[in-house]
Amino acid sequence: MKRHFRELSVAATLALLLLLLAFTAPTFFAKQQLLTTLTTAAPLLIAACGIALVVIARQIDISIGSQFAVCSIVAGLLAKAGLPMPVVALGAVTCGAFLGAFNGALIAGLGLPSIVVTLATMVTWREALRWWREGEFVKDLPEGFQWFGFGQAGGQVTILVGAALVFALVVFTMRHLAVGRFVYAVGSDRESARLAGLRPQWRTFSVFVALGGLVGFAALLNAIRFADVDPKTGTGLEMQAIGAAVVGGVAISGGRGNLWGVLWGVLLLSCIGPALVFLKIPPQWEKAIQGAIILLAVAAEGWKNRKQS
Amino acid sequence: MAALIIECLIFTRTGANFATRENALEIMKLSVEIGLLALVMTPVILTGGIDLSVGSLLGLCAICFGKFWRDAGISWPMAAALTLGIGALAGRMNALLITRLRLPALIVTLGSLSLFRGLAEAITRGVDNFTGFPTHFLAFGQGYYAGVIPAQVPVFAAVAIMVWLLVHRTTFGRSFRAIGFAPEGARYAGLPVERRIMLAYVLSGMIAALAAVIYVARVGQAKADAGTGYELLAITSVVLGGTSIFGGVGTVHGTLLGVGVLAVLKNGLTLSDQPSELAGILTGVLLIVVLAGEVVLKRISERKTSPRAALFTRKGG
Repeated sequence: MKRHFRELSVAATLALLLLLLAFTAPTFFAKQQLLTTLTTAAPLLIAACGIALVVIARQIDISIGSQFAVCSIVAGLLAKAGLPMPVVALGAVTCGAFLGAFNGALIAGLGLPSIVVTLATMVTWREALRWWREGEFVKDLPEGFQWFGFGQAGGQVTILVGAALVFALVVFTMRHLAVGRFVYAVGSDRESARLAGLRPQWRTFSVFVALGGLVGFAALLNAIRFADVDPKTGTGLEMQAIGAAVVGGVAISGGRGNLWGVLWGVLLLSCIGPALVFLKIPPQWEKAIQGAIILLAVAAEGWKNRKQS
Repeated sequence: MAALIIECLIFTRTGANFATRENALEIMKLSVEIGLLALVMTPVILTGGIDLSVGSLLGLCAICFGKFWRDAGISWPMAAALTLGIGALAGRMNALLITRLRLPALIVTLGSLSLFRGLAEAITRGVDNFTGFPTHFLAFGQGYYAGVIPAQVPVFAAVAIMVWLLVHRTTFGRSFRAIGFAPEGARYAGLPVERRIMLAYVLSGMIAALAAVIYVARVGQAKADAGTGYELLAITSVVLGGTSIFGGVGTVHGTLLGVGVLAVLKNGLTLSDQPSELAGILTGVLLIVVLAGEVVLKRISERKTSPRAALFTRKGG
């Protein structure tokens, strides 16, 4: 119980919020609304899992919002070019992986600080995209793009199933596969990991590539919810994903955190927006409340650690 | 330094009216807000910390300033003073979380970035903006002394000198670098680490508030999205100026050069009729090239001196 204190307390907070909603605004739980809330949260979950990997490895990546936007546009353009959806999906993931590899090469290869590198790539990708698209949406997409061609209900289920599968895959990898455990090792003590023969540079590099691929997949899951692709999508994603991960117990100092906590964190942060609508609170408070929750979560962790030391 | 000179040369060729005195003053006028943020970001980064929330704090302070002046009917000098207080309070909040609870500055300021921006949006309900400020206030942002020097430049110069003196000529400044270089060592040496860090963040908050007031005077209105992205430009200026993101190493004059490089870049591109996005792209590229170049040059020189020295290279992350 103590080991999973953070994950349980986030889950408990989520439960409290849901309870509050059950009494004051039960329409939140209407099937369609619930489905919409979850499908909006699904891309964030995937992105947050990816960022959790990077943070566990003691790095950070604030460029994922821009990566998300680029991959979304790429997915749209591939679909417009007439390629079948599986190829579009692969394209989005590969695009993300390439962007991640670029970050990884600079960070792992040259040893540049991840905050500065991803700061630079965030600005560069976002501005380059804006220059290229000039704010123009990707329109006139083929029929099979939105909802994978299954119609809204079928598409939403597909998104949820896809997200659940990838989530399960990542959880399994991090818990049971050596490659996952090595990420924890590199994050908690890089020098020891190196001495143990783990080659932290490659691990760090691959973590950024993995993040990129996951962000690409998240971008795809998000893009197919609409009939056109907005180049401004993904703005603020890095804050939400990092926030969800941190709320879910992933420590910024690296080496700690599990993905179930990330799940609860994502659900909690994603439910705030719709909850505000149903509780008739002006939606502009969402950002402030999210920021407050992040600070509270981190402060609680810090306070707990302080009492122990 | 070299980058700045090269930039100036390029833009003199490609830009209309670039190499004129009016333009130089315009550049200074427009870069004051970010310059202020970068100046106070320097001590923060020197201590090994970071403050991602300054841009959002600027927005929040701008809104507070507007609200004090318009809705509470307070005279604008009082409103400005109150706003500075809010900035200091915000900085203090950040500092408390970072020092008392030993939380990483990155996460704390990431959270407060959301919080401040969110508060600004919530207070204005996303639409409100404050306009119609009295002309003698607007003169601070839009007026010129002797018809030539933009009004905010002397303020900026004063702050720049103050921060430079603080960092380079006082014991406070030396302690910042000591804390960034080796926090535990600084503690054992008897430095009041927490108080110094708090000073850095409170100063950062207050100057962000000052920048907010200048911004409102220059733009003539206070909106919730003021200062979006400014923290990135400030950090970029500091890092370009040679300060290590890990702390312990860096100079204020370096930061000023960094601010100059970015300001000239933006201005030169605009005058050369290039799209504004190019400025962002080149900024990112420049940052990477400068940092990567440093690492590569260091590796080459180390390989020359001794193979053993190369083994103990400190890598980032």
